[in-house]
Amino acid sequence: MSDTVATAPRRNASGFTMARIVFDWGPPALTFVIVAVLWQLVAINNPYVLPTLDAIGNSLASDPGMYWANLLVTCQEVVIGAGAGIICGFLLAVAMSELPIVEKAVMPLIVVIMVTPVVAIAPALVVAFGFGMLPKYIVTGLVVFFPMLVNSLAGLRDVDQKALDVFKTLHASRWEIFRDLRLPGCMPFVFAGLRIAMPLAVVGAAVAEFVAAGQQAGLGSLVTIAAAQANLPVTWASIALLCLLGVLLVSLLALLRKRILWWSDEDVIGR
Amino acid sequence: MPAVSHLQSAPAAYPDEIGVEVSNVTKSFGGDTSRVTVLNGVSLTIKKGEFVSLIGPSGCGKSTLLKLVAGLSEANGGSVSINGKSVREAAKDKAIGLVPQSPALLPWRTILDNVSLPISINPGANAGRKLRDPKEILQSFGLGHALDRYPAQLSGGMQQRAAIARAFVFDPEILLMDEPFSALDEMNRDQQRMGLLDFWQSNRKSVLFVTHSVPEAIILSDRIVLMASHPGRIAEIIDVDLPRPRNEALYASDAFRDLEGYVRSALRKVMEAARV
Repeated sequence: MSDTVATAPRRNASGFTMARIVFDWGPPALTFVIVAVLWQLVAINNPYVLPTLDAIGNSLASDPGMYWANLLVTCQEVVIGAGAGIICGFLLAVAMSELPIVEKAVMPLIVVIMVTPVVAIAPALVVAFGFGMLPKYIVTGLVVFFPMLVNSLAGLRDVDQKALDVFKTLHASRWEIFRDLRLPGCMPFVFAGLRIAMPLAVVGAAVAEFVAAGQQAGLGSLVTIAAAQANLPVTWASIALLCLLGVLLVSLLALLRKRILWWSDEDVIGR
Repeated sequence: MPAVSHLQSAPAAYPDEIGVEVSNVTKSFGGDTSRVTVLNGVSLTIKKGEFVSLIGPSGCGKSTLLKLVAGLSEANGGSVSINGKSVREAAKDKAIGLVPQSPALLPWRTILDNVSLPISINPGANAGRKLRDPKEILQSFGLGHALDRYPAQLSGGMQQRAAIARAFVFDPEILLMDEPFSALDEMNRDQQRMGLLDFWQSNRKSVLFVTHSVPEAIILSDRIVLMASHPGRIAEIIDVDLPRPRNEALYASDAFRDLEGYVRSALRKVMEAARV
């Protein structure tokens, strides 16, 4: 009968869990091992091009407090700067989708701001706001703002027209249409925007720190200072931590997505 | 009209009260130079508790007519009233239940929460009406086991049934259905048709039902409105004097077949006239 319900996916039903793990994790693990081996070969033969992996590890282990302090500064920039950028981008998207006049009025200005290279704005912001955290928040926020705005706006507009018809025949208020239809419906787009914004947030924070380097001013400044001193292990250790921060953010996002957006993942829901 | 007088017609639930009145409605689209008239002088009355089907070739404006009655589109001329009120007023009172072509369920809500939606929307209009228990209505649509499931976990037929339950749950005056079974396969379609028929027979509401299928129109309707295209207009209104309650057995009756033959030939005439 065509009326039967699709069953939920069976977990570990076949009993080949180990084989599954090897199959899923084996190929990427192998890639990393190959890259590590090549890295070591290059580093050992060209000490002025790359530091060896153990030198990077030693650097991290010898002064963990310094790295930790700089990591926290960068984290703070990402959390506050990107957080504000994400919230502002989303709220402006809501305003634009509800009031077309807002989009008409503001969109050209936003496009102008967005085509201006952030790397070029950053020094100007440092001149204006000093070496404190504010210019770093602004740069990080600016970088994530645009992808959030554009994606959220696309999501808010991409409503199921037939469902909208049902709401309209019920004489739903704009607030009800927003709360029950547009807001939950735009979430797949919002998460797509976040997926772009998260790695960019780390880029934004690092760029801001390049321009406004100083003592204990985040991993980005650490990279510029160490590179200027040709200290390759510290440079690469800082880069590795920036990379780790990005991976962490993206993983957190994936976790959040699974909790909030399970309904848009067909394999999870078991169609 | 075919001779079906040997069959006794069942009395309608509300013999003469008018539910929906469409009078001399005109609708056209496009700019001044390339104006297309989609509906031209359409008048139609649906009594309370009456099941009326709209059938006709593509482009005859049957979906447009449904949209006008639903208040999703405005007529250029003429008027539409529901229980003597304007469509806008009727929508405010939540008098209109819509079943769109696709189920249009919200994928992030369970079936039960989807069916409960019309009760929570525009709650001011809930006063003084017989709201149904969403659970009960889903059970009577054979979805009692699927209350906590999500739309993506159900078959197309079950989703469409939930969409119909959603339209019945808040006790609207009129149900508007826009080819609700057109996306289903034939066997499934027949099953859903019978489900709707059973439910409607014990919950008589005015229904305006757009369809492409002649047997579907006959088995469900009290009257079939045959529309012609270019411009969209009513060609003929055919009474379906088959006794209620109806069931599958009716398909095999001579009366049904006579009527089917009649509707098909009328439809053919309309389409041939359009081709010339």
